[in-house]
Amino acid sequence: MRREVRFRLNGEAVSAQVAPHESLVEVLRDAFGLYGARESCGQGLCGCCTVLVDGTAVSGCLYLGILAENAEVKTIEAGTALDAVQEAFIETGAFQCGFCTPGFILMTRQLLDEIPQPDEEQIKHYLSGNLCRCAAYPQIIEAVQLAAIKRRKA
Amino acid sequence: MKRATHPAETGQVGRAVPRLESWLKVTGRAEYVHNLRLPGMLYGKIFRSTVSHGRIKRLDVSAAQAVGGVHRVVVAADLMTVVPDLHFGPAFHDQPMLAIDKVRYVGEPVAVVLASDPHVAEEAAHLIVAEYEPLAAVYDEVEAMTSKAVVHDELKPAGTFPDLKHLKGKKNTNIALDFHLRRGDAAAAMKVAHRVFEHRFRTQQVMHTPLEPLVSVAECTEDTITLHTASQSPSFVRIEIARLLGWPENRVRVRVPFLGGGFGAKLYIKLEALVGVLSLLVKKPVKISLTMEEQFFHITKHATTFRIKSGVDRDGRIVARECEVWWNGGAYADIGPRVTQKSGFTAPGPYEIEHVAVDSYALYTNLPPAGALRGFGIPQLVWAYESHTDMVARELGADPVEFRLKNILRDGRPHATGTIMRDAATDKVLERTAQLLDWKKPFDRGSGSVRRGRGIAVGFKACVAPTTSFALVSVNVDGSVTVYCSTVDMGQGSDTAMAQIAAEVLSVTAESVKVVHSDTDVTPYDMATLGSRSLFHMGNAVKLAAEDARDKVAALKREAGFPQDATLKDVFKKKYGMQAGNVLGQASFVPGYTSPDANGLTDNATPFWMVGATGVEIEVDTETGRVRITRLVNVADVGTPINPKIVETQLSGAAIMQIGFTLTEKMEFDAEGQLRNASLAEYKIPGFHDIPERMTNETVEAEQRSGPFGAKGVGETSTFGVSPAIANAVHDAVGVRITSLPLTPETIFMKLQESK
Amino acid sequence: MQPFEFAEPKTLREAIALLDTEMARPFSGGTALMLMMKAGVLHPERLVSLGKLGLDKIEIGPAGELRIGSMVSLRKIETSEAVRRGWPAISRTLLRLSNVRVRNVARLGGHLAHGDPHTDLPPLLSALGAVATIAGPAGERRAAVESLYAGYLETTLARNELIVRVDVPAMGKKQAAYLKCTTRSVDDWPAVGVAVVLDGDQQTIFVSAATDKPMRLASVDEVEQLNIEGDLHGSAAYKRHLMRVYVKRAIHEARHPSR
Repeated sequence: MRREVRFRLNGEAVSAQVAPHESLVEVLRDAFGLYGARESCGQGLCGCCTVLVDGTAVSGCLYLGILAENAEVKTIEAGTALDAVQEAFIETGAFQCGFCTPGFILMTRQLLDEIPQPDEEQIKHYLSGNLCRCAAYPQIIEAVQLAAIKRRKA
Repeated sequence: MKRATHPAETGQVGRAVPRLESWLKVTGRAEYVHNLRLPGMLYGKIFRSTVSHGRIKRLDVSAAQAVGGVHRVVVAADLMTVVPDLHFGPAFHDQPMLAIDKVRYVGEPVAVVLASDPHVAEEAAHLIVAEYEPLAAVYDEVEAMTSKAVVHDELKPAGTFPDLKHLKGKKNTNIALDFHLRRGDAAAAMKVAHRVFEHRFRTQQVMHTPLEPLVSVAECTEDTITLHTASQSPSFVRIEIARLLGWPENRVRVRVPFLGGGFGAKLYIKLEALVGVLSLLVKKPVKISLTMEEQFFHITKHATTFRIKSGVDRDGRIVARECEVWWNGGAYADIGPRVTQKSGFTAPGPYEIEHVAVDSYALYTNLPPAGALRGFGIPQLVWAYESHTDMVARELGADPVEFRLKNILRDGRPHATGTIMRDAATDKVLERTAQLLDWKKPFDRGSGSVRRGRGIAVGFKACVAPTTSFALVSVNVDGSVTVYCSTVDMGQGSDTAMAQIAAEVLSVTAESVKVVHSDTDVTPYDMATLGSRSLFHMGNAVKLAAEDARDKVAALKREAGFPQDATLKDVFKKKYGMQAGNVLGQASFVPGYTSPDANGLTDNATPFWMVGATGVEIEVDTETGRVRITRLVNVADVGTPINPKIVETQLSGAAIMQIGFTLTEKMEFDAEGQLRNASLAEYKIPGFHDIPERMTNETVEAEQRSGPFGAKGVGETSTFGVSPAIANAVHDAVGVRITSLPLTPETIFMKLQESK
Repeated sequence: MQPFEFAEPKTLREAIALLDTEMARPFSGGTALMLMMKAGVLHPERLVSLGKLGLDKIEIGPAGELRIGSMVSLRKIETSEAVRRGWPAISRTLLRLSNVRVRNVARLGGHLAHGDPHTDLPPLLSALGAVATIAGPAGERRAAVESLYAGYLETTLARNELIVRVDVPAMGKKQAAYLKCTTRSVDDWPAVGVAVVLDGDQQTIFVSAATDKPMRLASVDEVEQLNIEGDLHGSAAYKRHLMRVYVKRAIHEARHPSR
């Protein structure tokens, strides 16, 4: 039942034995020890499981692991230094328990790639698929705005 | 991230220090039990009751047991070979790890499938067959008072609360606790009052839905057990597991990393007893990690009914208030009895009222258990008393703010319990809220299909008492500082706050302090991280322990004949021959407290009060009944903030959470006690589009003199006034009064139609 | 979830052949399918991926009609310049459809073939007169999108039929809008969805969410005849009322687009 799936993970060529019913989050967790993408609601509504596949954000808990074949997969663990978005989240205090934070950071990067200077409505709208039970929403809006400024300066 | 290790030049307390764990959280590397995997670990999938009250006639696990990859299917009888009595609970030992003979709510755990592949465990669980002989069930809290459907044959108080002892062995009742407070003679005062008003309010059952669902892992050796658990109360878990196993406490270790949210869901015993005994049974590590849906079947918030009656004199002073509160505790008491009592005595509200009668009842029903949820019963009470107070004011033709100020309980005046109010800025908080809303200015309510309104509410909470916190603070030989305490950081910033307090005392930077996470082998006893108690209690303990360490360092230098600015390394080298070691400071903190007497009266009801008010401006779309919050202001008395930034995020976060409980969240049950909406697709929590258009969060200038550096807790404060402020604003906008939560568009629209 | 066979046919014929069994399901984006499988509602033994069939183009046809391959992601449709210019109501509707991650993965064909009356494109595409090209064992056929729906989660597609393309006529002077009303949090499955297309004096109205499938109305008065049941989004009476309100609002929106 398991097949070998080859893909690039955070810039590195990797492979894993994956059963068809395993989700991408399970593969990342079980085969690669990466826990930044977490299954929470299990329905694609909260964004805690956000993973980038070929540059687009997907809900890892609803994405079959075998579909990562030949894809470029990126998780929150990619990279070594903090980027503008991560720094902005820290400076504005845009997280509390932190469980949803990787998802928000990945989605914010996508947003700013598409809309470098988003207004508040655009921020709320793009990130409306990410939930935060600690309700750090107001601070997250500030973080995105600050990250936009930091990116512009860089 | 740079960690400054040089001595601090500026104050550490009162500084907006970024959270210590920031790097971990933004890189996805923070540790949660959700992520924990141990070698040889088995996953447990719970098989649950499908009836709300019934005797188990047949339980057939053979098909599940036969599934390839299933290690074992476990039922109560199996657990009892390890532990004779499966019952746990902080107030009553009423909750079995797995159902024995009877089930008492839909979703109650009946069996567990263990497998090394969680998919296999889940598929096998579907093959378990159970047959029940249905028993009469009760779901409503008021009905439960007198219902013939009795949830527990006999009450089993745990012995932890003295005021429950008298209930031991009691039968034929669903009343798990009744609390009474009598001050003066409310009944008589009502008879001679100028005007009397009576209303009834209801709130709904809701769930915390932390995004990291409940999860626990247990691993054991021959005579030790370690629980890795997402828990706000590691010390309690240790004590309770030790009690259940009949083991000394030092054989039980409880470890807690970060929590992906808590809000009161992860308290006392949730999954710990079950995984613990399972791991002892199969001699392998066991993990039970709930799905979002399953959480709804483990812990929720009390639904309530509150009858409130006020007598008012000709001067507009409230002279008497009667409060009758029924708390829907679900099938197992959890910490419900404490909610009933500790919140019960604040039921009349932050008002100075000469004659007060409170009757507060904790009821068993055949619903998922209710326990602690941010606010601990206060939001339900404030919902009633601040809606009621607003209605009374309007009936009297008085301004709602002026009426409240006329009656508000001020510093130095006696509360209903008899306790004199100290360091509770009730009037200041209310006045500032009104000021922020421009309350005195005229307000345009509109004339088209969209109407506008505004509302205010103020609430307060006592801190649970008496409780103990212990802390250790180590000054290492190189001057670096380590704090050991069992307070759990669930996002409220406790690590950072404790670091700031220790740093302030020891003149280092907060960023340089290491805070060791809860591990009962290492960190000393703490009652629990709940009810906004930690900043005050553990903060005081950490401050005292840091002072102890500081004093010990000074004494060491003196005794060794060194000047005070000598390095610890030089002192150690001389005294011990080695430049290695540490100086350990220790302290415990228990505030004063006096137990209430038979009338619920005491002169020292609480170590500190929390006070919060909320004001809102809303729009109501009269064609659909939909409410949009255009402006929300929270004002709180938090004493002197240790970390103003974290305080602000706590005020804003708690209020937004409460918006969910006010407008969109409700656990919907059918007539058979089946929950119909146990998932985030059907149970709607606030998202980006649900937050107020504009939000302001402020603290008033205040000092909690008995708090560490003048501070006290803040985590729950802005949950108090949100719901009634919105209902008051709806009434202001369109003249309809809703007395039940949630305030759905349909409820408002239907009420609008009725009123035409 | 139980294990299953995951087939990746390279031709339409192969795909259709693989679908000729009760236990097989087509897999496009997989969002709805995965939810149902995780919830234990469906237990297919075989998933037939449509990802390698080359059905992922957006083009303008000879009559100026919009031709969207059934495997085009909703996000690609949302961000397409051609769609924004020529069929702005579709772009606007997609902006509020679920969330970005879902739209990145969900495909047009799967979205339409799911048959959930709470989804947004079926009523809008029905109102726009869209036509689906459907491939089956006997070849291809064409059917109006409005004819695809039989009831709640029930379509008129055979088990081994696949939508391969959807054509939307050029708008010309027509105006269109889709509005939905949620009654709990703002982002929620709608209680009511209304699509309106105005062509001179002619009004085409399709309502959904409160009904089992998208329903064509000649006028707002026909709301009274609809079979509506109460649920967690609202009582039947309230949903009927919302529908009346939103038909009027959608007509207004079509005439005066707010964005």
